[in-house]
Amino acid sequence: MRAALDGIVAVVGNYGSGKTEVSVNLAMRGRSQGLKVSIADLDVVNPYFRTREARGVLSGLGIEVIVPPEKYLQADLPILNPAIAGMIRRPRQLTLLDVGGDGVGARVLGALADSLSSTPVHVLQVVNPFRPHTETVEGCLSVRDGIEKASRMLISGIIGNAHLIDETTVNDIYRGYDFVQALSEISGLPLEYIAVADELLGRLDKEYFSCPLLPVRRQLVPPWKRACPI
Amino acid sequence: MGKVLMKGNEAIGEAAIRAGCLNYFAYPITPQSEVAEYLSRRLPEVGGVFLQGESEVAVSYMIFGAAACGERVFTTSSSPGISLMSEGISYIAAAQCPAVFVNIMRGGPGLGGILPSQADYFQATKGGGHGDYRLLVMAPAGVQEAVEMVMRAFPLAEEYRNPVIILGDGLIGQMMEPVEFPDHLSSKPSNKDEWATNGMATRKSGRPNIVRTLILDPNTLNEHNLHLKEKYERMKRDEVRYEPYNLEADYRGLIVSYGTMSRVCRSAIDALKEQGVEVGMVRPQTLFPFPEKAIEEAASKESCEVVVSIEMSMGQMVEDVERSVRGRRPVEWYGTCGGDVPTPEEIMEAMKSFMSSESPHLVHSSTG
Repeated sequence: MRAALDGIVAVVGNYGSGKTEVSVNLAMRGRSQGLKVSIADLDVVNPYFRTREARGVLSGLGIEVIVPPEKYLQADLPILNPAIAGMIRRPRQLTLLDVGGDGVGARVLGALADSLSSTPVHVLQVVNPFRPHTETVEGCLSVRDGIEKASRMLISGIIGNAHLIDETTVNDIYRGYDFVQALSEISGLPLEYIAVADELLGRLDKEYFSCPLLPVRRQLVPPWKRACPI
Repeated sequence: MGKVLMKGNEAIGEAAIRAGCLNYFAYPITPQSEVAEYLSRRLPEVGGVFLQGESEVAVSYMIFGAAACGERVFTTSSSPGISLMSEGISYIAAAQCPAVFVNIMRGGPGLGGILPSQADYFQATKGGGHGDYRLLVMAPAGVQEAVEMVMRAFPLAEEYRNPVIILGDGLIGQMMEPVEFPDHLSSKPSNKDEWATNGMATRKSGRPNIVRTLILDPNTLNEHNLHLKEKYERMKRDEVRYEPYNLEADYRGLIVSYGTMSRVCRSAIDALKEQGVEVGMVRPQTLFPFPEKAIEEAASKESCEVVVSIEMSMGQMVEDVERSVRGRRPVEWYGTCGGDVPTPEEIMEAMKSFMSSESPHLVHSSTG
């Protein structure tokens, strides 16, 4: 088993690939491994279901959460908190940047390129092959290209996040893993994690996977559902 | 792969394509801009056209133009945008052209906010634009149902030669759910050659079709409105759709709720059942025509003490609920309209309060 993920981690991917849920769960996992963790909401694309929605849970765990100022929290304005540049200059042991979708969202990283240039950054692409535009390897590579150009950064790894929310089956996880495994081989990018809903973990054959599994406790839920207890 | 995971907005765009609609004109506005984002990418792949208008007013007349030519056409917007389109919608209804509109509602009035709302109920069901016209209004409660309703909207618009509007709150557009698309769209052959301005080649009579809304002669205008009224009466007779929930139980309270609000109510009803408290629900899937009879019947059940309209608006649908219940039971309203969707716990508490005979029915939500 490789060492825990640390340093500055930018979580990118196509629109709706699950970046925020993955970022939030990476933060919670890092914290549970004893790391000092911060997370910044850089999503200037999505109007709902953003990291800021989980700020209460994350803060409660002692995770530093950087979101736009309170009065702009419910705006769809491209606001970046100036504290983000400071957070990059003085990173915690694990510093997560939850970036908006596609090249459009990743342009934010381009704006932070000066701050980011002096320090190593993991840029991880979240891939859900059940989403439109990333159901083929070519689609994923095209998304990668768009993000790299817009962010002026190179993607360094893949997080497989195959799921259909409540309807995800164990077989979907295996198929999703096979897909990102093929993507990893073709792209040359290492497979960093396979994200799996907590409730499915016990039913999986761990031997099937060549990389660590990231348990996902869903936090961004519609109002008629409850977030997974932490 | 069979099912795909889609945002409501994306699924609405894809559903329109699957329904054979290759014309989409729109103007971006949160929380529905992803429809345009998705279709700007997708429509060129299937030989369709996405054109961004210079405003929603312009878009509504682009829709009118395409519809008058007999083309399948649709647009999507959110509350303030639909206000701007309302003039065009009135013209399209007057001209008896088929078109599909989608309103992914946000908080109002005015610019309001970008969070979910159901405050355009009046606008969709009672008018919005001027004149004696009606829209067929469908209200999905999830992404899969949004797909099905969009796909049904096109044939219905053509059958009635009238605009159809899908009324979804912001959550319908923004949330992701697994969806699958039906293979085939059941649709009658279009009768557009009888009315559309699609050229003289198909004219048997030798006279051109003219699409217009100016009718100066009072008798002719009256006849025209009577004809429209006849169509709306036919919709009332044939197109009512609703979903009953827990109506087999001896419920003390009956909820009427639609869209994503009804899903919160479902969770509340399930949780109340565990506490031994029975509540039933009628979920209108069409808001015009409104399921009046179903609500009247459900309200008339002996065990039922009170009917509550639960909506993300300050009491709009409640007027139709009152009309449906016809005085048989007290009718109450509960809701918010700030963007925060009520929780199941809040609904449970409100229902308990409405059903307790000792306390007066004064419980209303705080601001959202």
